[in-house]
Amino acid sequence: MWMKNDDELVGEVLEGNNSSFEVLLRPHRQGLLNMAFRMTGNFEEAKEICQEALIKIYRYLHRFEKGKSFKSWIYKITMNSAYDFMRKRKRSEDIVESQKRQISGASPNPEQQFLNKEIRSKIESSLRNLSPKEKAVFLLRDGDGFSVEETSRILRCSSLSVRTHLSRARKKIRIQFERANLGLQKEVNNEL
Amino acid sequence: MNCKKVQRWLPLMAGSDLSGSKAEAVKAHLAQCPHCQQEYEAYVRSLESAKEWLEKDRQDWEEREWQQVVRKAFEEKETAASPLAPWPFKRVWAYAMMGVMAVALTLIFVIRPFHLREGSAQDSEMFARTQAQLSGGTLEASQQDVVRMTMVLPESGQKIVWFFDRNFELEVKE
Repeated sequence: MWMKNDDELVGEVLEGNNSSFEVLLRPHRQGLLNMAFRMTGNFEEAKEICQEALIKIYRYLHRFEKGKSFKSWIYKITMNSAYDFMRKRKRSEDIVESQKRQISGASPNPEQQFLNKEIRSKIESSLRNLSPKEKAVFLLRDGDGFSVEETSRILRCSSLSVRTHLSRARKKIRIQFERANLGLQKEVNNEL
Repeated sequence: MNCKKVQRWLPLMAGSDLSGSKAEAVKAHLAQCPHCQQEYEAYVRSLESAKEWLEKDRQDWEEREWQQVVRKAFEEKETAASPLAPWPFKRVWAYAMMGVMAVALTLIFVIRPFHLREGSAQDSEMFARTQAQLSGGTLEASQQDVVRMTMVLPESGQKIVWFFDRNFELEVKE
């Protein structure tokens, strides 16, 4: 089946065909939601960020330069929305309240929440120790598979800065994983 | 290349993010240093696990919610529609135009008063000369038909010009 490329779909949306907008974003909807979710640690907040990002994407679609990567462009908008959201949250809420919400509002589906509980706790504990920039770089490069250059364009920083933050993030992740494995080993030894 | 330098690059090496020459140098070192090799493998393992976990724990939208979010994007654009047409060019052109306007305004409000000040000096000189002629008697009052008086405000460069006919005399025709 012949698939339309992103530029063609953008053109259709700009001509007034709104149904093409959904087709355009459908392949990225999961990626955007997960990016926002990992940045905030809260599923409801991630949805709010995506809503804000989608509004901006639709409103400023005429500014998208054809021939460039649409995926990078929408990730850039979502990342900026996430930063704005976190900045506002930092101003308006105290940290304790935020942490409570992180624990309570993790997933909409209780069954899925139960199955992924162990995985999520490991990822969350690893990501919690990263700075927002390190987290963003790690998620874009290692989570979504963007290249270092694409990541630098999305985050509007140099490739050198991306490499530096990526290196730090991977070091921290490694330490966290080793600690987690040591913890598991201790638990096994105690049971024996 | 020593171990310290290699270990600094291992996190990037683990994700294949080192450039060609550096990557080759690190590889050569790893082939002969078991300690660094062990460190490298630990980075690769943790990175692979993290990627695997991130992949497993992916969330997705409920179809209904997703449709709502997309619909809201359309609605928001309609409500926020500006009566002015959107800027159709690249943003850089808007900044360029703003720059040109700023320069033009600077020329009008900063440089022009200097020009006026030069003019005002000439006017005040003429006024002083006329006054001197009137008071010193070099110009007879009766001969003077019109006296022009110019006042220039130094702060704003604004000019006020008065014309006095017939040396302030009231003409009464009988």
